[in-house]
Amino acid sequence: MRAALILLPALLLAGCERAPAVTFADASITLPDDPLDLPDLEGREAVIANCTACHSPSTMLQQPKIPREKWESQVTKMIEIYKAPIDEAAIPQIVDYMVAVQAAQAETGPAQ
Amino acid sequence: MSDERLTRRALIAGAGAGGLGAALAAPVLAQKLIDLGLPGGPSLRPLEPAFPGKGEMIVQRIRPPLLETPMAAFREGGITPNDRFFVRWNWSMPTAINAAAHRVAIGGAVKAPVALALDDIASAGATVEVVAINQCAGNGRGLSEPRVTGTQWGNGAMGCARWTGVRLRDVLANAGVAPGAARVRFAGLDVPMTDGAPQFIKSIPMDIAMRDDVLVAWGMNGEPLPLLHGYPLRIVVPGWFSTYWVKMLSTIEVLTGEDESYYVAKSYRMPAAPITPADKDFDTVPIAAMPPRAFITSHADGAVVAKGKLLTLEGIAMGGEAALSKVDLLGEGWEASCTLGPDEGPYAFRRWSVTIPQVTGDLANIGARAANAKGAVQPETLNWNPSGYARNVIERITLRAQ
Repeated sequence: MRAALILLPALLLAGCERAPAVTFADASITLPDDPLDLPDLEGREAVIANCTACHSPSTMLQQPKIPREKWESQVTKMIEIYKAPIDEAAIPQIVDYMVAVQAAQAETGPAQ
Repeated sequence: MSDERLTRRALIAGAGAGGLGAALAAPVLAQKLIDLGLPGGPSLRPLEPAFPGKGEMIVQRIRPPLLETPMAAFREGGITPNDRFFVRWNWSMPTAINAAAHRVAIGGAVKAPVALALDDIASAGATVEVVAINQCAGNGRGLSEPRVTGTQWGNGAMGCARWTGVRLRDVLANAGVAPGAARVRFAGLDVPMTDGAPQFIKSIPMDIAMRDDVLVAWGMNGEPLPLLHGYPLRIVVPGWFSTYWVKMLSTIEVLTGEDESYYVAKSYRMPAAPITPADKDFDTVPIAAMPPRAFITSHADGAVVAKGKLLTLEGIAMGGEAALSKVDLLGEGWEASCTLGPDEGPYAFRRWSVTIPQVTGDLANIGARAANAKGAVQPETLNWNPSGYARNVIERITLRAQ
């Protein structure tokens, strides 16, 4: 980031309480892209179309293993509370995909 | 404390000849990974990609960023450097700030609504510094058993910095608080990614808002707030969880009644009384003030120590909403008082150390236990809740004597 801001020594402030203590500059950063991709399992397209706008693939792959019903309630929560514009027909595909991903993770090792 | 063995896993596209292993192996270069010791996994997290202004961080999410501090960073001292400080955004935030155009609107139950420029804020009152811990309400959530959903943090969603700014009450004085004011609500420039989703806005009671040490801050450890930490301004509420420390502050709204907004009325809430994982209906209260916590930073779980030798253990501790009063090291059937290091104020990390004269065998399930000036003491068992908030169970590790 390119912000240049000067914190004046406290001594300088004594007796001149109303003087600005800092100067503010414009600032900008560039965020990195997500290097991970989603595993190629059934339902991947539905997840990409409905979920990845808000959820990085890396985050989706890091969730603790939860049962199908819990994934269903998660998708419902995204629709009802966070107003995710999810196609109703895609809900079972998204749920199937997350269940399959977690089953595959369980097979390939506990840590991943 | 979680085990943080560093590992390097080569993710090779095509490995496993088309099986599920191949499907899971994304076509990227070898990644440097860290093991957070999350029960049941997935427990490995990448330390990449790099984020602007950041050193090595645990990447929990890329957009909006969730970056966790590796526990090794807490070995260095009581202050967490800006480039190792954890990052947490609920919604997408802007990646550029035009300083001259930025305004903080003050409205609601005030005598005269105003929109203040950054210089107006900086000259609203005396410049104040406070050393305070900023900790995510969900810090350590990933260690919950049974596991709960949400960001799967280890214990690194916390840090301690020296914050510089003006008092919130001096900023509020520009608009004049009207009679009947009950709470002060904050909004920042981060906005929902979907139409109609709740904005991330948070409020604190009036008596907290008027405290001497509740700030509108622009400085973090003597530097401007990094953009990832809320440039140009963020709220600082020492002793309270970071959910209230709204970043990229753009709106201050004085409320006369309860806050019915989603992130206060529905989310970031704890059971009012202890529950079990089987309980479904229970009253909740907003998470607010922090309880005491302590961590061993000198040794990771499973580390080997020299049998027959003297051993010094070190760590950090916090009192939470009140000053730290005491840290004890607990073993199985024994405990020892720890010596506290320099005092940077009631809301800061304080280092502690204790020396065991002679290691006679494995040090099984040892943990540091903090207590604060209000009499709160870390519990032996997890105060489990479905959102994994306010974890402060004694964190235990085992050291192997050889």
